[in-house]
Amino acid sequence: MTAMTVSTAISLGRVQLAHIRFRTLNTARQRLLWVAILFALVAALAIGRIAWLGSSDRTATATSLEEALLPPRGEITDRNGVPLARAFPAYALWFNPRAMGESGSALVKSPQEVAHALKQIFPDIDEKAMAERLASGKPGYLRRRVLPEDANKVMDIGELALEMPRETDRHYPQGRLAAHVLGYVDSDGHGKLGMEQVLDDRLSDPATRGQPVSLSIDLRVQGALEDELRKGMLSTNAEGAAGIVLDADTGEVLALASLPEFDPNRVEPGDLVLTPQEAKNGYFPKAFNRVTNQVYELGSTFKPITIAAAIDAGVVRDFGKRYDASPVQMGRFTIKDSHAMGATLNVPETLIHSSNTVSARIADELGGEKLRGTLIDLGMNQRPYIELTGRGFPIWPGKDWPRLRTMTVGFGHGIAVTPLHLASAYAALVNGGIWRPATLYKLDPDQVPRGRRVFKASTSSRMRQLLRMIALDGTGRSANAPGFRVGGKTGSAEKPGSHGYRHHTLVSTFAAAFPMDRPRYVVVAMLDEPKGTVASSFQRTAAFNAAPVVGRLVPRIGPVLGVRPDATRDIDLSDLRPLVPHGGSGE
Amino acid sequence: MNSIIPAPILRQPWQMLIPLFLLVGFGGAVLYSASGGHMQPYATSHLLRFAIFLGMASMMTWFPRDFVKLMAYPAYIAVMLLLVAVEAMGAIGGGSQRWLDLGFMQLQPSELMKPVIVLVLARFYDSLPAGMVPTWRSLIPAGVLIGLPMLLVLIQPDLGTALAIGFGGVVIMFLAGLPMRWFVGAGAAAAAAIPIAYIFVLKDYQRRRVTTFLDPESDPLGAGYHITQSKIAIGSGGFFGKGFNNGSQSHLDYLPEPHTDFVFATMAEEWGFLGGMFVLAVFALILGWGIGVAKRAPDRFSRLLAFGMVATMFFYVAINLMMVMGLAPVVGIPLPFMSHGGSSMMTNMICVGTLMMVNVWSRKAGQRGID
Repeated sequence: MTAMTVSTAISLGRVQLAHIRFRTLNTARQRLLWVAILFALVAALAIGRIAWLGSSDRTATATSLEEALLPPRGEITDRNGVPLARAFPAYALWFNPRAMGESGSALVKSPQEVAHALKQIFPDIDEKAMAERLASGKPGYLRRRVLPEDANKVMDIGELALEMPRETDRHYPQGRLAAHVLGYVDSDGHGKLGMEQVLDDRLSDPATRGQPVSLSIDLRVQGALEDELRKGMLSTNAEGAAGIVLDADTGEVLALASLPEFDPNRVEPGDLVLTPQEAKNGYFPKAFNRVTNQVYELGSTFKPITIAAAIDAGVVRDFGKRYDASPVQMGRFTIKDSHAMGATLNVPETLIHSSNTVSARIADELGGEKLRGTLIDLGMNQRPYIELTGRGFPIWPGKDWPRLRTMTVGFGHGIAVTPLHLASAYAALVNGGIWRPATLYKLDPDQVPRGRRVFKASTSSRMRQLLRMIALDGTGRSANAPGFRVGGKTGSAEKPGSHGYRHHTLVSTFAAAFPMDRPRYVVVAMLDEPKGTVASSFQRTAAFNAAPVVGRLVPRIGPVLGVRPDATRDIDLSDLRPLVPHGGSGE
Repeated sequence: MNSIIPAPILRQPWQMLIPLFLLVGFGGAVLYSASGGHMQPYATSHLLRFAIFLGMASMMTWFPRDFVKLMAYPAYIAVMLLLVAVEAMGAIGGGSQRWLDLGFMQLQPSELMKPVIVLVLARFYDSLPAGMVPTWRSLIPAGVLIGLPMLLVLIQPDLGTALAIGFGGVVIMFLAGLPMRWFVGAGAAAAAAIPIAYIFVLKDYQRRRVTTFLDPESDPLGAGYHITQSKIAIGSGGFFGKGFNNGSQSHLDYLPEPHTDFVFATMAEEWGFLGGMFVLAVFALILGWGIGVAKRAPDRFSRLLAFGMVATMFFYVAINLMMVMGLAPVVGIPLPFMSHGGSSMMTNMICVGTLMMVNVWSRKAGQRGID
């Protein structure tokens, strides 16, 4: 019994032991499998990771040396290579409250002391506000731009928290000059307005930004134009001024100015946006380009275009023919001249005295369809042709003009275009009759567009004579710079207000070309709301403000552009001059 | 088998040795490039040490099993004494010291502890009766055996080596058949403790290390520098690499430690995806051979010992590769047989030697097995 029990116990123990052994071995195999699976997973992970690192570019985008040596943004130069906009390494002043570690005071000295020291360097800061700013412990820019010598002084304060990160800035070494042509670069590094916006991609692309972009602008001409326009604007208390110098044969813009201007080195919010009060009073923001973006009824400067269209169409054949100059009655409207010029006028007299009535009659005789066709050929039914983004759409009378509309367009009313439209049209008037789009890029001789013919060459040569006669005998006499053979037409149009035309606010324009025996450059100068001052003999019309601007400008830019004053040369006027008794004047 | 090649040579585990020779040779080539195209100072000593430790490993194959079993605890105690001695020298010398200078190399006792912990735990579980495995008596002594050296190494401080010791020990415990619920429980507890520790225990700079590991690009010039440069090196290698001696990341000193911890990045830049695949394939061959040895091992002790050695080597490879690829934090663990460094070469050759030794034991045990 006992023996039995014992033997059973032993055998049971053996069975149990065998069971345990089996279970243990089973567990061991399973466990081994688990670990092997873990190994395999890690191996798969490693392979996948190597493949991913090798195939994805994300981790390996190192800046190439070539790219690092390029300027961060391409340069813009004028046609002679003078820099207009360049990349410029600058310093900023950044407050880093953690410069001395996570905890504890951000500054060694007290915020008041540091603010006082900063005030010694930058007198324009508010010392109290700066002290509060430093005490607040919030990181941020204290100043965006700091001069190198000021940066050294800030370093001498000895505060680690005042950091001077180097930032690349856009620098316009010519200051405000050509601001509307260039535009500016915003804080995100993107070009705004002007050519900075137009060329943004090209100036940022590493492939192209190493090469400066040459504009058609000539800095010397631009400077003279802005200077003379500003003098004219200030001496007549005008709201603004606009001017353009255009190469008559290629369409290149040598100078383009809109006043008042802004400083692209320091663009203020007020340059871009107006207060509601200013907008109500009809002001424009300074960043607004009057040359390309604002349309004006340019008045009498349209009369040569009407006459040219009439000559071209064969409507005007005899320059001695006399037209009725009495007021034109059309329904309830009466077209009058500003003063009596005589009962009848011939074509040269019409332009010299700037007669509305005869211009209207010639336009009527020409017909709306032909006049309209000429204006379309001159691009006046579309935005002006230029690279800039801000281009104004003309107020264009559409199709099927009634007789009255044809007559008013004949002397420049009922249609509003930009000064750039006018300059391009005058280029076609004097260059042999070819209209070409204006451009701000410097063109090589082989890049000059063929353009389209608007007038016959014979018409163009007549217009040169007529425009020259206006400057010799008519309203443009104060533009007649000696020796430069200037020819051009004045225009003084009343500005439309909320209740019809405002009779005492004018836009006065002088559109000219020189030298008239072989015209090379077109100049348009425009003053917005000039007042009668001593400088303009208390007159507001173009003969007394815009024409003198051109008269002073041409002698400054002519020699620079290769046009020498020469009193012995002039266009041959011998066939037309006898038709005009000397000493006429008018508007 | 009749052959002109003598049997003792034919007997050697060539399926492991030939890939190993290739890997060490490749490592020598990478080190040659890392020193700018010179054998000095890295490549020569790398190959020399391999030769020395290969001799040591072949001598180990002569050890009988009973002798190894007998030496397990004395060896553990000896290495523990060395660890304490290093600690004491560091304290006296007034600086942290991890090594003893042996002349031709600097010996880190913590490195020796990696194979020794495997040896002593294999011995412990071998002597433990099978019925006692699921009880606390199997856990507590083993825990003490692992914990003491880990603590000493952590004080040094050397987190990477401490983790390697812990990993080797835990793998032995896992294979010895301790209840699965203990591992699952410990894993769950750790998972729960990590966020709590992150928020309440870790200091700011430690937290920043963790976030840097998770997103090295957040601080590419500071704490994330190693990882970022290493990833650039590996990534710029592409499929075929930039070519031998043409790695700009390592030659221009962008890559930190191009000859030790980041040797894989140095290699991958010059040899590309192909080189990386070669290295991984060789490790797969060596470790796979080790697992085979462990499976054929004649008894529990030799099986645990063999597998512990494989796990130790695996831990080196896995952590190092994940570190240089930006999948693990930078902890300073070299890549076996490729990184320049005497101690890691010694440890890994001890592992290889132990595996060869177990291989001899199972051949001598013949066909009879013990299953």
